[in-house]
Amino acid sequence: MGFKIPCPNCGIRDVYEFSFDSEVRFRPPVDSDLKTWRHYLYFRKNTCGVQEEWWYHGGGCCEWLKIKRNTETNEVLEILETRADD
Amino acid sequence: MTKDKAWWRSKAPERSYDVVIIGGGLHGMACAYYLAKDHGIKNIAILERERIGFGGSSRNTEVYRINQRAPEIIPLYQQAVDLWKGLSAELDVNIMMWQKGLIALAHNNMSIDSMRMRHETFKLMGIENELLTPEELKKMVPRLDISDTPDLPIIGGYYHPPGGSIRHDAAVWAFAKGCYHHGIDLCEGVGVTGIRIKNNSVTGVDTTKGFIASPVVLNAAGGWSATIAHMAGLDLPVVTLPMQAMVTEPVAPFLDQALASETYFCFGNQTIKGDFVIGTHMDPWQTYKFENTYHFASDLAYGWTQLFPDLAGLRVMRSWNGLCDMTPDSSPIMGKTSIEGFFIDAGWGYFGFKSSPACGKNMAGYIAEQQCPEMIKALGIERFYEGRLVPETTYPRN
Repeated sequence: MGFKIPCPNCGIRDVYEFSFDSEVRFRPPVDSDLKTWRHYLYFRKNTCGVQEEWWYHGGGCCEWLKIKRNTETNEVLEILETRADD
Repeated sequence: MTKDKAWWRSKAPERSYDVVIIGGGLHGMACAYYLAKDHGIKNIAILERERIGFGGSSRNTEVYRINQRAPEIIPLYQQAVDLWKGLSAELDVNIMMWQKGLIALAHNNMSIDSMRMRHETFKLMGIENELLTPEELKKMVPRLDISDTPDLPIIGGYYHPPGGSIRHDAAVWAFAKGCYHHGIDLCEGVGVTGIRIKNNSVTGVDTTKGFIASPVVLNAAGGWSATIAHMAGLDLPVVTLPMQAMVTEPVAPFLDQALASETYFCFGNQTIKGDFVIGTHMDPWQTYKFENTYHFASDLAYGWTQLFPDLAGLRVMRSWNGLCDMTPDSSPIMGKTSIEGFFIDAGWGYFGFKSSPACGKNMAGYIAEQQCPEMIKALGIERFYEGRLVPETTYPRN
């Protein structure tokens, strides 16, 4: 059936209106070694359960949403933040 | 009528083994089978949380082929096809291998360029492949719409004779039978809950049925491979994305080859029974949930009716979904990890079915001989730290 995301700007909307970016990641300091950078670039937590992630609402308000979602059930638990596209 | 003798039976695990394999799919079973057959290691448990063949092994669209993009990995797929060919006889189960060839279609110049590039690779590596014009394609597949009516008219394509289809359930049964015959324990309903490590060496696994000791543990959990790696404190370079597929009602045979369109991004084949087993793009968000969507069904119907207008009105019998563990370069992760005795065969994304016998054979070789087989040398997890990717990428992921 797919799932829905409650966009704070647009209301409850179908997931296909949004683009998934990725799980929330933390950029290493600029002077980190190459191994740390490659880990950041390629490796993911890929959590089975609740994770925080970024989505873009291209089919609506064109803002970025930081979402808390359970990847085991696709239940969207919380919208943590919205950010204008710049 | 007397009941046929069961090909294999599930059993409760013992307390210790020489090798424990996590995941009762084709990769895990093939590894166990070749450990027993090639190396005489038979004290093995395959731990499967659900049932044998529950994951990608029975959720793929049954197509096999050799024509990957990266030259580093093509010999592995060649070996897989060579092994598949012998398995019906070797395991005494008809896996219904049908080497009917694979056709792929190009709808723009970028696709044509990419096909030419791959064609040259195949020529160098001795893999059969032919580039075709729309007219030549029409000769092979008379129902194909090569007119300029579709939104993206066909402008070329290729024919890859070594490709084809294998009945995936029969392949699962065949390997389960082979494992059972060698005395390997197939343990269904046993979920792994932890990996025990001492002095950076694996000592066994905690499961829903208690602790099981083993100096060697293989992570062959497919879409769930990251969750198993987490138990050993490791992250993997994978995201798990869902891929859906459908099967239509059977109709008279008219498509003799497996077929893919690289721009509509849909693929499939018509089975011996006459139904179309078809799929299209993945949903691009991480999930571990099996779910089918109207959006997908609609996209798939659009793609296939653009290629074959005659398919309009055909009913869908079933749809399902599988989980793909996608790496950044779309090539798998095979070999050792930073923990002694903890091996991995994962990150196969949507290429796992066709390659499974060769993966099992090489992982078995690695585990038994403690030396990495030449065939999978480029595929270790260390390549991501060494900046040495094996670019198979057909589907970018973030």
